[in-house]
Amino acid sequence: MAKMMTALAIRAYRYALSGVAIVLLVSIFAGCASFREITAFASLSSSAAANNAVVKDYIGSIDRRKQYEPEKFHRELDAQKARREAQRASLDMLQQSVTAYMQALAGLTSGNARSNDESLEEFSERLNQVALLSDTEKDAAYALSTLLSRTVTSVYREHEVKKLIRDANQPLQEVLAATGRITGMDIVADLRGERALVERYYDNFMLAPGNPDEPVAMALAREARVRALDRVDSKIQATQSYQIVLGKVARGHQYLYEHVDRIGDHELDRHFQPYVDELEAAYREFVEVAM
Amino acid sequence: MVKLTAEEAFELGNRIRDAAVALHRWRIENRDRLSRSQWEELDNREVTLLNFASSNFTNGIGMRLDSSQISASRLEGSVKHAASAIEHIQSFKQVLDLASALALFAGAVASGNVAEIPAGIVALEDALSAIDHPNRPQDDE
Repeated sequence: MAKMMTALAIRAYRYALSGVAIVLLVSIFAGCASFREITAFASLSSSAAANNAVVKDYIGSIDRRKQYEPEKFHRELDAQKARREAQRASLDMLQQSVTAYMQALAGLTSGNARSNDESLEEFSERLNQVALLSDTEKDAAYALSTLLSRTVTSVYREHEVKKLIRDANQPLQEVLAATGRITGMDIVADLRGERALVERYYDNFMLAPGNPDEPVAMALAREARVRALDRVDSKIQATQSYQIVLGKVARGHQYLYEHVDRIGDHELDRHFQPYVDELEAAYREFVEVAM
Repeated sequence: MVKLTAEEAFELGNRIRDAAVALHRWRIENRDRLSRSQWEELDNREVTLLNFASSNFTNGIGMRLDSSQISASRLEGSVKHAASAIEHIQSFKQVLDLASALALFAGAVASGNVAEIPAGIVALEDALSAIDHPNRPQDDE
């Protein structure tokens, strides 16, 4: 009976070693998948998409308009603000869908390395409790298991990342294009209207027929005009910068989609790095302008 | 009533805003020829036009939002898939634990010392228990 148990156990051990050998072969062919730049890209994209400064300003800009328009127009502005408030949930959803997707992509490319390593540390402790194996044998067994775990997880993860990028690219491009058009075209066009209102307000103050000639008041008004126009110009610049950021996210993801079969390659990671750098620079510029 | 597309609403808004700006420029350039009431009348027209342009942009954004709902829903589907893939990796870890425990057990048996086998059996049982009851804490922990 004891002999049969031992024979069965030895057979199980050989199967286990065969499994490790197969996985090692797979690892040799698959190489060690690299997602570093994709993770960085997804994290940056997620932060950029989560920034709702432009949307908040689009709704809040109606309150700014009130100070530049006669009171008789305020009811009309209130009605328009209510329409914009009603759009808020949809605008947020557009951004949140990109944020959630990018977070999921970052999670998939980076997420579980740590938990697998922790699991392997437990395995290492158990291994040390087996007194009969020499230190070299224990080290070898631990190294094999580390490779087994990392390789199998990595191969599975690579497959899922590829599938995700393939499936998500078209809706992502559409959502980014819609958000880009709303920010870069509609909201910028609306801010240009606000700029015209600011000019009108100060010109009325300074140039209306019959206004008393007050040089000090005029000088102050001229300064206030410049400041107010600068504020609107900064908002236009920030909104255009945000559109550029969204464009970089779209471009980067499109690159991944077009090279999806090479995802996990170190070489692809290296070629993808400039896209991540461009996105980072664009996002930094947006944050600087928007502050 | 003619229904505009998002692009048409955007174009119309731009043209109306530009018209308001042109009207303003004319008012400033010709201010010496205008009475106070004429000046104010034109000013009111400018504000009306600028608000109308703004309203067109708001309408255009509404139309773009309506047409992007399908893409956003599809993207959400991809997010759900990614989340389930991450969960799969977590349960995959349990299979790896089982494989590791099996290797440990087999290693103990192959070493020829039966005294080490119980430790291997405990490791195997722990791994199997974690798969059968993923939320139950381990007894030895």
